[in-house]
Amino acid sequence: MAKKRPAAATTRKPKVKLTPRDKKTMARLTGLADRVVKAADARRDPSVDIPSRTLSNVRYSPRKKIIEMGGNKNRRQLFDLSQAKAYMRTMLVASGCKQLLDQGKTTSLRGLFYMLKHTIEGAKENTFDDQNECDTIIEDVEVLLDSIREELHLYAENRGAMVGNITLTDRGDVINCSRMGSGGYAIPSIVEPEVIQLDRKKCDAKFILHVEKGTVWQRFNEDRFWEKHNCILTHGAGQPPRGVRRLLFRMHNELKLPVYCVLDNDPWGYYIYSVLKQGSINLAFESQRMAIPDAKYLGLRSLDYDRCDLSDSVKIALNDNDKKRAKQIAKYPWFEKKRPWQQEINRMLKNDFKLEVESLISKDISYVTEVYVPERLDAKDWLD
Amino acid sequence: MAASQRDISVSEFFAKNRHLLGFDNPRKALLTTVKEAVDNSLDACEEAGILPEIWVHIEQTANNRYKVGIQDNGPGILKKQIPLIFGKLLYGSKFHRLRQSRGQQGIGISAAGMYGVQTTGKPVKIISKVSVRKPAHYYEIQIDTKTNQPKILNGKGDGIDIPPGDKGNTYIEKHGIEWVEQPHGTRVTIELEAKFVRGRGSVDEYLEQTAIANPHITLHYLDPDDYEYEYERSAKVLPPEPKEIKPHPYGVELGRLAQMLADSEPMSASEFFRTKFSRVTGPVAKKICEGSKVSTRINVRKLDRSHADKLYHTIQETKISPPATDCICPIGEDLILKGLHQVVPGEFYAAATRPPSVYRGNPFQIEVGLAYGGTAPTQNVTEDLLLELLEETDTRTVRQFLIHTFNGLGGEAADKLVKEAGLKTRQNPSKLKPKERQKLYEAMKNVNVAEGQQMEVMRYANRVPLQFQQSACAVTQTVLNTNWRGYGLSQSRGAMPKGPVTLMVHIASVWVPFTSESKEAIANYPEIQKEIRLGLQSVGRKLGMYLRRRLKVRQQSDRREIFLRYLKEVSTAVSEINGAKRDALYDQLVKVAKKHTAEADMKLDDRGRPIDEKPEDMNLGDNVLIVDPSQHKAAINRVDVGEEASDEAE
Repeated sequence: MAKKRPAAATTRKPKVKLTPRDKKTMARLTGLADRVVKAADARRDPSVDIPSRTLSNVRYSPRKKIIEMGGNKNRRQLFDLSQAKAYMRTMLVASGCKQLLDQGKTTSLRGLFYMLKHTIEGAKENTFDDQNECDTIIEDVEVLLDSIREELHLYAENRGAMVGNITLTDRGDVINCSRMGSGGYAIPSIVEPEVIQLDRKKCDAKFILHVEKGTVWQRFNEDRFWEKHNCILTHGAGQPPRGVRRLLFRMHNELKLPVYCVLDNDPWGYYIYSVLKQGSINLAFESQRMAIPDAKYLGLRSLDYDRCDLSDSVKIALNDNDKKRAKQIAKYPWFEKKRPWQQEINRMLKNDFKLEVESLISKDISYVTEVYVPERLDAKDWLD
Repeated sequence: MAASQRDISVSEFFAKNRHLLGFDNPRKALLTTVKEAVDNSLDACEEAGILPEIWVHIEQTANNRYKVGIQDNGPGILKKQIPLIFGKLLYGSKFHRLRQSRGQQGIGISAAGMYGVQTTGKPVKIISKVSVRKPAHYYEIQIDTKTNQPKILNGKGDGIDIPPGDKGNTYIEKHGIEWVEQPHGTRVTIELEAKFVRGRGSVDEYLEQTAIANPHITLHYLDPDDYEYEYERSAKVLPPEPKEIKPHPYGVELGRLAQMLADSEPMSASEFFRTKFSRVTGPVAKKICEGSKVSTRINVRKLDRSHADKLYHTIQETKISPPATDCICPIGEDLILKGLHQVVPGEFYAAATRPPSVYRGNPFQIEVGLAYGGTAPTQNVTEDLLLELLEETDTRTVRQFLIHTFNGLGGEAADKLVKEAGLKTRQNPSKLKPKERQKLYEAMKNVNVAEGQQMEVMRYANRVPLQFQQSACAVTQTVLNTNWRGYGLSQSRGAMPKGPVTLMVHIASVWVPFTSESKEAIANYPEIQKEIRLGLQSVGRKLGMYLRRRLKVRQQSDRREIFLRYLKEVSTAVSEINGAKRDALYDQLVKVAKKHTAEADMKLDDRGRPIDEKPEDMNLGDNVLIVDPSQHKAAINRVDVGEEASDEAE
């Protein structure tokens, strides 16, 4: 029980003025709570129906070329042994968001986890033991209320960085991304227009190059690749977080910049590309705002081992998990009908090894920035 | 060279190679001595039809020196046999016959005596009494290793007769002979170099396991620290006497066959096969003879080695019905349950006696008993006993001490205890400060060690516990290869299953195939492994049914509690969002919860009956015993140390 939580905090403090967006979210939260009360009065199980976030409930729209969430819903019941705890957590997260809205503040996912974590009265059990448990419930609440994380006043840790010939405004500060030194501009978790404003006139870059990891990004930045080729350089520290994806989406659409990706040649890299391009299965409801169907896959390709004449030592053997994952990816509807992609994946399986972008360093430290990527771009040699 | 070649006597051989008989180190020597004496006593009592009562007394006489006295209420031994039985290696009644008995070769007790004489110089003392009215015989014997002959030291090489009645009693008292007054029985006292330890492979463990597999015996045990253990018999009848059988042709090797042919009195070949073997009828004998081109009428004396070779091969090809199996006396499911229940604390017991089977022409029978649950030995130990145990342990760390002292306690559980007690892992157990001891004791009381605890396997051959070479034994290997996950226990690949489970496996046979003379592990015959596996599966299935039912019932009682636990949270959260009245909502939700759980309680099982049975009321057949663990005798922590409670701790 939340003994320590000041229950009347919202009434004591002067009420923060809600933005129209917050009002909409608030109405949805209250609606959820009202339904619980109503069900209890009618002596029914106050169950909630949460749209399901699984592969079976996503649909690939060939027209829009993005993944969309289907209509399947999972019923979460309070009076079901296996779901009771999840139900309780759902309500806790909802009440936590309501507090944030009331006070006009935002918090990190971890912050909310600590806000809601406490020992249940009369038991030795905690509401949450692990942040992961809280994060999945937050995603549930997002789809349940049809309100995205930002609307619930939540943000994730900053991850990913950007550098390039662009100047943007972040919370009123003018940021010139061509003068960011070696560290780059850390892409915030929330990049909505209220926070970050983009201006076409302040952008000289002609395209966006997205790389997988910080280390590769460092290589490009140190070689001033973005300066030579007049582009924007981003990375997402592995699977790009929503902030990076949303910013790429906005730059792509608002500034009309094409997006090229340089990722590892392994199932993980393929999936990163797939997420950028069509959206992720887990967050299919966000595809509309994040997926970039025109993003291109520049490399690494499974034929690069022969094409670039790489040495034997850079091979990393595929493990069983990799093979399984590769076969799964090949079966995704958005890859299934693309011959080049099927060839690409099959070739990797036939090679029986994967390649990291760093493997190109074995040729020359700057091979990737001076030869590999420029050659691909000139030849328009990429996978779509 | 030729001059230095000479006969080697059996005793010389075994005196040099005493490890073959289980005297490799002082610790094992003590156990082997007790074991051989107790086994002999039990065999003697059972053969004479007497319910055995055994006294075991171990006393420390000097550093590294112990006096072991074992007395039984058996029939007593004839005067002239005493020196031979205790003072001559390979002298016995059990070697030449095929009959289920504990002893086999006739080496054991005399070897123990020899070891005693060699390490301490003290003679073996035997006192035996045949009846109340007859005099008791008292001998002090040494074995002459050169000739393998007993040397009698007292009574001018003749032993002493102690008259019956009061006169004898005063004599016994005057000369300091150890003897518990009995109408008949035998007591052997051996002083030997030894080391007394507790825990795995100890005398304590051996006697406890013996008591389990022999519920018809009463055992009094006084250990060197003057603790007295009493194992009362739980069965008042002797097991039926095993029958002696003739060898089965399949079980006889070529050399043995040739020897039998040579030793036989003159008779026809057909008669030879019919009378010297089991399951050979006239037609079968004829088949064997014809198959090897030997006349059925020929005198066996005339058959030579080449004939024997042919006969041997024909026997292997001839179809002969398997040996009779009524010569084997299993413990019986009922008595296994009683024995386990008496000694191992638990809540669920199951037993299975397999039908007899045959390996290499020898009949054998497998029995399996299983005990589940109950409080862990660490929780049963008294503070005084713990202090004693801490004092006498020779382990270097507290963790080791816990693992070695408490059977079935895994490394994980030991770590948990050490952590709970706030001790350092490398602390020496005998150097703990009083405060730390107190903390360790409290930790042992409070920590539930059942998680991470491993199954304990007790192996028996003809009712004798096997304590060493666990991994080489067919039983252990079969237990490891059985999948216990289906029976509700968790098990990692290639490891013992986890959980508070004690398993006993008994093999009864006229000839138990040991891997070595010291009788520590059972050889891996596929037939034996198969029977063990079937036995394990039989008790496993019962355990699985019990555990599943228990889980079901537990889930149901948890159900309402879980809902109620979360309802407060839910109503608080909801009221915070929309300002509904928290308590009113809570009450309302509780009402809904009651309605829902009532429905759930009424759910029917697969056969359409309402599930309201308690697991204790399940009917799983006769070979299962379910008790309330909190009412269990051995589970209660006793104040007076020295009873089973303290023995559990070993």
